[in-house]
Amino acid sequence: MNVIEVHNLCHKYNGRTIYEDLSFTVPEGSICGLLGKNGQGKTTLVNILMGFLKPTGGKCLVLGEDSHELPPAVRNRIGLLHEGHLAYEFMTIGQTERFFRGCYPDWKPAIFYDLVNKMGLSSQHKVGNMSCGQRSQVVLGVIMAQNPDLLILDDYSMGLDAGYRRLFLDVLHDFAGQGGKTIFVTSHIVQDLEKLVDTMIFIDQGKILQTGLSDFMSSFHKFSFRNGDVVNFGNDTVLSGWEQRGDHITVYSFASQTEVADHLGSLGVKFKDLQQKTMSLEDGFIGLMGKY
Amino acid sequence: MLSSLLLKEWLKLRIFFAALLLLNFAVCVKIFFDIRQQMHSEHAEMVWYQVIHIHTIPYTAIMYMPLATGLIFAAAQFVPEMLGRRMRISLHLPTGRNRMLVACLFTGLLLYLAVCCMDSGLVFLMLRTYFPMEVAWSSIPTIAPWIIAGLLSYCGTVTVLLEIAWPRRIFLLLVFSTLCLVLFSGTGYGWFTPALWYLVGLFPLALLSVFESGRRFQQQGAK
Repeated sequence: MNVIEVHNLCHKYNGRTIYEDLSFTVPEGSICGLLGKNGQGKTTLVNILMGFLKPTGGKCLVLGEDSHELPPAVRNRIGLLHEGHLAYEFMTIGQTERFFRGCYPDWKPAIFYDLVNKMGLSSQHKVGNMSCGQRSQVVLGVIMAQNPDLLILDDYSMGLDAGYRRLFLDVLHDFAGQGGKTIFVTSHIVQDLEKLVDTMIFIDQGKILQTGLSDFMSSFHKFSFRNGDVVNFGNDTVLSGWEQRGDHITVYSFASQTEVADHLGSLGVKFKDLQQKTMSLEDGFIGLMGKY
Repeated sequence: MLSSLLLKEWLKLRIFFAALLLLNFAVCVKIFFDIRQQMHSEHAEMVWYQVIHIHTIPYTAIMYMPLATGLIFAAAQFVPEMLGRRMRISLHLPTGRNRMLVACLFTGLLLYLAVCCMDSGLVFLMLRTYFPMEVAWSSIPTIAPWIIAGLLSYCGTVTVLLEIAWPRRIFLLLVFSTLCLVLFSGTGYGWFTPALWYLVGLFPLALLSVFESGRRFQQQGAK
């Protein structure tokens, strides 16, 4: 069963096309990461999925319901983390717990306090007086205590240091381990997602590439070689991306090392010491999407 | 769910409620001292002539208090929701949008009416102390348009804050401002009484504008 289904989604904002004919699915039990450069519409997509924006065309289904008219019973099954860890800043920790406890029938106060007490703050501490990291912990406690079936996290890593990011990953990992839980996550910290997701959706200029993490990491390659000249591969069909630092050139491709070597030869590029390098997800992201 | 929503609104409003209750009380006390001083410094016939014959209302100091109270309550409730578009937190709760808004409006209007009841009651008691009962009773229809103006300022502020498009915001601002101005345009005791019940009957229309702006915010407010 698919928890999220997007069919032929089109969206425009101020005359600019954000998506055109975008389609993908997120199956139940998967951890799907949405990756894209700044301004590619990741948050817009989350807002459409949560019914806060009406797309100009296409259809989005979340837990089988039209995202634009999500009934309360479906929203009850979705834990949503807004970009910037939105929380009611006029509330204290205790008031936040009391407020959400009355909203969600499956609320688990122990989960909330287990996460929040790690900060060592009093329940009288006001959310508005917290650091970004502390606030993120409260928001994480809120969405976890809801015991949702689907978690949607919009750039959870924004403003968080390595410790808080690692804590998020630990909690999300445990959540996914419960079985039957689905996570849809966007983040700017690509290397964090490498430790979490099993499926990725790359979004670039309104188009997407959906792939499994292991498939991507095994089929997409990073090669390096040396060349004294300045190179420019432009929109190459074999080389998805390239970087140059001095005479050290890195190229990314779905092709094998032999095919890349042949291709470089056919382009008349002189190369020395061509070798395949270990590639991180962040390398793959840059290689596929480019830097700018 | 309902108790949670009421709790949230109370947490936002309680300081403003206490402050406005105190401020309104202080204005009522000032009115009392003004009337008392007038009674002591002038002949009773002169005071009677001014208050009864030339319709010099002795409690005009309170005229704009309901308007300001409604405006402040609306801002106290909805400005925190609009900052960073935090209203999306409430809109994601497992309850209907209109039900959530009703809980917000109910809390705000209940506290607003509590302040207005205190004002009306104190003015009534003050007038009863120094004037015949008829004068005290006449304060109710005299104050009523000011209270309705406060209700409109409350609904208008909420509607404008929730509205996402600037042209609509300006239009709504003009509409609600004009309606409020009309309610302050007359003078004398109970000048609005013939139209009062029609206005009370039409007040729910102002509430509808809040729900429409709420709908528009949910569907397009994340831009």
